Order: sequence, then structure tokens, then C-alpha cells
Amino acid sequence: MSRLWGLYIRLIGIQIRSQLQYRVSFLMELLSTGLLNGTYFLALVLIFERFKSVAGWTLGEVAFLAGLIEMSFASMDMIFSGFDPDSFSTKIRSGTLDQMLLRPLPIALQVLGSRWELRRMGRILEGLVIFGVALNLSPVNWTVGKMIYLPVVFLSQVLAFGALFIMGSTLTFWTVQPVEAVNILTYGGNELMTYPATIYPIWLQRFFTYAVPFIFLNYYPALYFLDKPDLLGLTPLAPFLAPLAAAAMMTIAVLFWRFGVDHYQSTGS
Amino acid sequence: MNFLWQLVKLSFKQQLAYRVALWAGLVTNLFFGVLRAVLLIALYNGQAEVNGLTLNSALSYVGLTQAMIAYLTLFGSMDLMNTIYTGAIGTDLLKPVSFFVYWLGRDFGRSLVNLLGRGVLFMLLYSLFYPVTMPARLEQWLVLSLSLILAWLVSFSWRYLINLAAFWTPDARGILRIAFTVSQFFSGFIMPLRLLPDWFTAMIQYTPFPSMVNTSVEVYLGTLQGERLWTALWLQLVWFAVLAGLAHWVYQAGIRRLVIQGG
Amino acid sequence: MTEMIRVRELRKTFQVARRSSGLLGTLRSLVTPEFKAVQAVDGVSFSLQEGELVGYLGPNGAGKSTTLKVLTGLLVPTSGEIVVNGQVPWQDRTRYVARIGAVFGQRTSLWWDLPLIDSLELLRPMYRIPDVRFRNNLRDFTDLLEMSSFLHTPVRSLSLGQRMRADLAAALMHEPALLFLDEPTIGLDVVAKERIRQFIQHIHENRRTTVILTTHDLSDVEKLCERVIILDHGRMLYDGGLTALVERFEGSRSLVVTFGEAVADATLPNLPTPRIEGLQAIYPFDGKEVTAVMLIEQVFARFRVADIEIRRPEIEETIRKIYEQKLLI
Repeated sequence: MSRLWGLYIRLIGIQIRSQLQYRVSFLMELLSTGLLNGTYFLALVLIFERFKSVAGWTLGEVAFLAGLIEMSFASMDMIFSGFDPDSFSTKIRSGTLDQMLLRPLPIALQVLGSRWELRRMGRILEGLVIFGVALNLSPVNWTVGKMIYLPVVFLSQVLAFGALFIMGSTLTFWTVQPVEAVNILTYGGNELMTYPATIYPIWLQRFFTYAVPFIFLNYYPALYFLDKPDLLGLTPLAPFLAPLAAAAMMTIAVLFWRFGVDHYQSTGS
Repeated sequence: MNFLWQLVKLSFKQQLAYRVALWAGLVTNLFFGVLRAVLLIALYNGQAEVNGLTLNSALSYVGLTQAMIAYLTLFGSMDLMNTIYTGAIGTDLLKPVSFFVYWLGRDFGRSLVNLLGRGVLFMLLYSLFYPVTMPARLEQWLVLSLSLILAWLVSFSWRYLINLAAFWTPDARGILRIAFTVSQFFSGFIMPLRLLPDWFTAMIQYTPFPSMVNTSVEVYLGTLQGERLWTALWLQLVWFAVLAGLAHWVYQAGIRRLVIQGG
Repeated sequence: MTEMIRVRELRKTFQVARRSSGLLGTLRSLVTPEFKAVQAVDGVSFSLQEGELVGYLGPNGAGKSTTLKVLTGLLVPTSGEIVVNGQVPWQDRTRYVARIGAVFGQRTSLWWDLPLIDSLELLRPMYRIPDVRFRNNLRDFTDLLEMSSFLHTPVRSLSLGQRMRADLAAALMHEPALLFLDEPTIGLDVVAKERIRQFIQHIHENRRTTVILTTHDLSDVEKLCERVIILDHGRMLYDGGLTALVERFEGSRSLVVTFGEAVADATLPNLPTPRIEGLQAIYPFDGKEVTAVMLIEQVFARFRVADIEIRRPEIEETIRKIYEQKLLI
């Protein structure tokens, strides 16, 4: 186990080193990606000058949602870069996947270790800034429970997004080209979870409660952190289901992945 | 001139080949459009109108900006930058057409397809979810067409100009990204400009960006009337001229540099 | 001697989707896809003993790559019994792959941005190679393949020849009992090819590594392989010694005579008509009934000769004949 972990760290180290070789352009990338996504929040701030609140959520409270989900999405994007469907489908086409099959390491580990987009740091930092603004505008009543649960929520979000990436990549075993609809769940999901779930029409809420459990990943935990009431009236356990939702998604993703790899080995490329 | 027409036709055909990608892209656009619309409805919270923009107009605004993403290449393009980096610019320069016009022609075919394909098609899909207002009178459509063409010209000139940064730096990617972020933000793509603070809109009046998106959308919605309408159209034209002129000048400087440095 | 590779009735069928052109066709094929069965490998059987060096030949599309993919565990066959090194290749992949080495000529297994030495170092924990063994192999391979000059160069900056040597070293660092080589000399210049061949020969002789080699370069085959297996259209055409093969199909040497002046009729008594190419005549002879000496005497007696040459039978000719005429054994 430690051998695998050690190899993973080494593989990541390779990625990071080669990206840092180009220091200037790396900083530029960092800045530009952070800025790009920051403007969406900036637009929100400006909008709130006129509207003051949305569905009973103030700017600070929305910023809490926005900052947290941005940090976790960008972190996932960095860690799971290898499973980015665009990049993964290239691996299949170029024969890199075959090379991986020839190495005595689990494929998933090699895929994870094959790419680590350090420039996503820009977005992570941007998310951190937004989160900081949130805590400033709407201070949280911190309890021990909340302090423990916050990193758990963060991790759950990262794993949930990661599961989507894995599923999107597995699809390319069949479709060759990455399926753009997956972007609706990843990038779309990121955008969706930036706002309180109560603004969405009921059918959308239901979908993201029972089909893809997004509602438990950001909105419900936020109710807990910000001491806001549950207007939807689901179970009182709802804010604490984040890790469960993530685990469910990841389990499905891993099973699908194994199925995909087996299929790849029987049909070739 | 015939050559230019061939160029447009070829570009048109190429775009038509990406049909499956087209539908996938439409669904993605639709999703984001609906998200923004939902947000706006929640923000309006029952108010009929905010700063001269009714809720229905705002919803149409969101739909229109999504529809125009492909038409105006709102997320930016790095094609020209890449031809400079790969050296492919060499073969382009051998063609008996002005470089600017050449790229204009290429962009035109593609944009036209996207206007009809992703643009109109998207609006039809979007209208299934939200009521979309439409210009009533023929003359409104004519003015709209004019504004759309101008918007495209401004947008193209901006993209062209920015890509020329490749002449001066080996890694213009970051610059381009920042530039396109700015143009996205200030053009009204993210949120209707009317809903942003007055001090903000006053500030960006002096940039070409509102002319890229916001103006055409407002023409469509009819929120620009009379003198303000013509001022806005005039501004679109002026900005096109300014950006194109700037691009020409920068291009000359860039080519000189390229030739001297040896590519 | 142990049996290293056992292949019995290997069959692999691919279902290839039929793609229609045009918009209607594309839509139709999305709803009801049509599949065509392609029989890539159709009942191939052979055995390899430990320590053999076998050439695996065939024209493009013969099924060589498919067989190799099955043997390396990349592909699961449709049917057949395959046992390699005591294991079924595609079962328990990580354990199987740790004991083989493979070089695919077209692609590198090394990490592109890293200096070569770093790529090689990574192999140590990956294959759990004991430190001492790793150091020794590294030193030996560096010497044999003359890699010291580019050990610290990033892999992406290596020339093709250098990269190929590096890939070979990487494939053997963990001392696998079995080595699969898919076009290891493709695209290389003459010197580089020779280096690679010598290294393969060295490994084969000194470490008793079993080697399967696919190649289109018949000099590779000539210099390295004693045994060849020839495939075409998924079926095995020949499995046996190389010399036997050549003797069987093109057993004769030839005397090539360049005449000093144009000759009306170059035919010699009791001998088949020679092939004429301009001022040259090519006389095949078997070396037993008709010897080289006999021929030369006759030729000199009858004609004005400017030059003579004795040509050995060409493997290339033989192989080409087999491919073209599909001479089943």
C-alpha cells in the first residue's frame, strides 16, 4: 500500500516539476484562471448592490456557497486532472492507456498520477478569497462540530465531482469523443451549487436530491454552518448526508470504471 | 472576391460537419441559460421591472446571450495566436488577400452557421422554458440585423487584435485569457448591464465591450429607442473602426518584428 | 526446457461498426448500428520454449499486433488457450505484467518530460527491483547501449535511436524472463539498428531471455532469429527454422554475369534460361548438380564478361513470395 502511495506521489511530483519549469507562463495561467472565474462572483457582487438578497440569502451567505464549491471543484480539477474526459479520451486514442496496462500498477492510480494541473491553484485561491469574503460579511458561529464537519464537506464535494469525472472518462471507452453532457453535471453542477437550492423549480430540486444528490453536498451543509432553517422540510439529518452522497457517487463511479476497463480489454482500441 | 466567397463556403461546410457536437453544445447552453434565468427570477422576487428592464426582457436577455456565445465566439479564440506560434502564418501570408480580410472571411462563415445553428435553434429550445419576446415590426428586425453584424465586427476585431500579442511574447495564452475575461464581463454576457450598478455601466460605456453583446440584445428587446438607439449603433461602428485600425497598425508592427526576427 | 509460451487455437474476432456517410446514414447508424465481424486471428497455435528467439512475421493486417496484445495481456481473446510463463496473461494483470518486458516501437513507455535517468529510477519501486540489482543493470545497460551521454536528457529531446535504446533498457531493468518487441528497429538508421540488434542478441544469450520479435525489417530476422512464425490473414503460414524456409522456397544461389557487350542469347546448354536485365544475366544454380565453378567456366568460355557476382538467396524474396502467393505450408 505504501509502495503505491509512494509511486503516486512520485508521479505527481513529475507533473508538478515539469509544469514549474515554465514559471512565468505558469504564474500567468494562475492569474488568468483565477481572474476568469472571479469575474462571475464579481458580477454577483455588483448585482447584489441592486438586489440586496436572493431567496432570503444575503451576499455573504451566497458567497459561502460560492467560495466553498469553487474551492472544492478546482481542487478536484487539479487532483483528478487525469480523469478529465478530454484528457482521458486522448489517452485512449494515443495508445497511452495500453502503456499503462503494461505496467504493474493499478490503472486508476496511473491515470491519477498522469496529470496534475497545478494552474487550477488559481481557482482554488480565488475560491478561498470568496470564502474569506463570505466569512467576513456573514460570520459563522463556529462550534467544534462545525469545525470538524467543514473539511468533511469539502472532501465530500471533491470526491463527488471526482466521481463525475471518472464516469465521464469511462464513457469515452464507448463514445471515443468525450460526452459534452457530462459538463452539465461537472461545470453545471458547480454553478448550480453556487446558489441556494430554493431558487430552483421543484422538478430541478427533486432531480438534484434523488437522482444526483447535489443538494446534500453544499446547500444543506451550508444551512448547518450558517444556522439557517430548512425550508424544504427534508429529514433533519439532511445537512450531514454530504459524505454519504459522495460515497454513493464514488462507489457507482468505481464500479462503472471497472466495467469500462474490462470492456476495453475485450474489444481492444 | 470570389476567393473570399469560397472561403466563406468552406468554413460554412466545416461547421456543418460538427452536428452531434452541435446538439450536445445546445443542451449545455440550455442548462446554463436556465440556471441564469432561475437566478434572475429569484432576484427579481416579484418585481415587474428593475432599472427599465422587465423580468420577461431580462429572461429573454439571458436566452439571447447564451444564443450568441457561438456566434460571437464569446469565450475567445486562440486560432490566430496558434498559427503565429506554429509558423503556419507563413502559408497564410502567401495568400493574395489582406490578412485581416482573410481571417474575417474565415470567421464569417463559421459565425453565420453558429448564428443560425446554435443561435436560432437555441432560442427555440429556450422559448420552451421561458417566454421570449420578439421584435414586432419589420424595421426592428432590419435594425437588429445591422446591429448584429456590427456586433460581430467589433467582436472579431477585438479577438484579432488580442491574438496579435503572439508576435511579442512566446506565451500569450494568459494575456488572451485575461483579455477575453474582461470582454466577457464588460459586454453584458454574464448579467444584463442594466442590472449592474450605474457607476459601473457609466464606466464601461467608454469601452468597446458593450457594443459586442449588450447593444444588440437591447436592440432586440426594444429597450433602446430613438436617439439612444442610433447612438448605440453609431458607437458599434466607431468601435469597429477603432479596433480594426488599431489591429492594422499592430499587425504591421508585428509582421515587421516577425520578419526581422526570422519567425 | 520449460515451455514459456503456449498458444492453442487463438481466435480473436472484432465487431467493427459500419459507418455510413451523410446525415441520414449517421442518424441511422446511431439508432441501429451495423456490425461487421472481423476475424483478426483465426486459430493460431504455437509453443515457445524458454530461451528461444522467435521472429513473428506477416504483412500488415496479418494479426501480429493482435496476437502480441493478447500475449501481453492487453486484449482478451475470443477463444483459445493461452498460457505464458505459467499464467493467463489477462488475468491478474499486475502480477503478469511485472514479469514481462515489452517495447512497442511506435510509442515510448518513458515519461516525456523527465530526464531519462528519472524515468529509469521510477522503475525500481514500480517493479520492486532490489537496489543492487537495479544499480548493476543500470550500469550494464548504460555501457552496452552507450547511453551515458544522454542519461540526463529529457526523453522528449532524445533522437529516435536514443529513445529506442532507452525503451529497451527500461523494458529489461526488472529482468523479465520474457521480452516482447514490436518493431524495435522501425525508423532507425543502419548503425542504430545494428546496435539494437546486438543488444537483443546479448540479452538473449547472456540472460536466456525468451524473445518474440515482430518486424518488417528482414535483416533483423536474418541476424537474430533462428525460428520464424509467419502469419497472414489471421492464420499461421509457417512455423520453423529460417534457413529451412529460405532453402525451401528459394534454395538457389545465383550467378550474376555482366557482359562486356550485348549478347543475343545468353542461355547455356542444359540449363534453364537466365533472367536478363540489360547487360546482366542471372543464372540460378543449386550448388549440388550445377556448381558455381561449372557455371563460371561455361560463361567465360562463351561470352565476353565484364563482371561476375555470386548472390545468396534473399530472405526478402522468400518472404515476399510467401506473402504474395500465400504459400500455405
